[in-house]
Amino acid sequence: MDTGFEEKSAWIQLVTLTVVVGGYFLVASQMHAAGVQDIRAYVPVFTVSVIALIIVMIFGHIAAVAITRNDDRDERDKVIAWRSEYLSSWIVGVGVLAGITAMVLGIDTVLVAHGLLLSLLVSELLSSSLKIVFYRRGF
Amino acid sequence: MAKSALPISNCIRELRETNDQMTQQALADRIGVTRQTVNAIEAGKYSPSLEVAFRIASVFELPLEQVFEYRP
Repeated sequence: MDTGFEEKSAWIQLVTLTVVVGGYFLVASQMHAAGVQDIRAYVPVFTVSVIALIIVMIFGHIAAVAITRNDDRDERDKVIAWRSEYLSSWIVGVGVLAGITAMVLGIDTVLVAHGLLLSLLVSELLSSSLKIVFYRRGF
Repeated sequence: MAKSALPISNCIRELRETNDQMTQQALADRIGVTRQTVNAIEAGKYSPSLEVAFRIASVFELPLEQVFEYRP
């Protein structure tokens, strides 16, 4: 596959977020189903997930740099980044508003916190996916 | 002119071939973009900025309209 560094980076983010943060949500949903209501109980799992995310991202990008001849960012990369972020950032806004509404309604703090985290995850997944689509299909 | 999904088509591939088989990388280096971007422009997947379009035309020493064609 003929890809530049930025497209490889989008793939790394898409796969890493799906596996690591998706894995966190799987564990968290099992904990919630088992009746864990204290948000602090989720912190260790979340911390491990964030550390794993950072490590995988760092090594993934080091590998991407190593196999990419030219890792400079040009105007096309900037336009694609801007467009994909513009088209996906609204999800975080919706998530924050929904989270505030949920807090006002007195919904379980664990659900509110994970709703906010989910909106961030979905926004990032959409952003990475759009980048890949724009690189592959053009725009 | 190469077929394009965008309203702007170009003949960069032909111009490269008639200029000592210039590679995409060589053209990319001269106009300050990545080889992938040159490939995307040739394939009609990306319309370059006016500045890059002028740089491409300058490399081939041609006026802009002989390199790019606009079909609305």
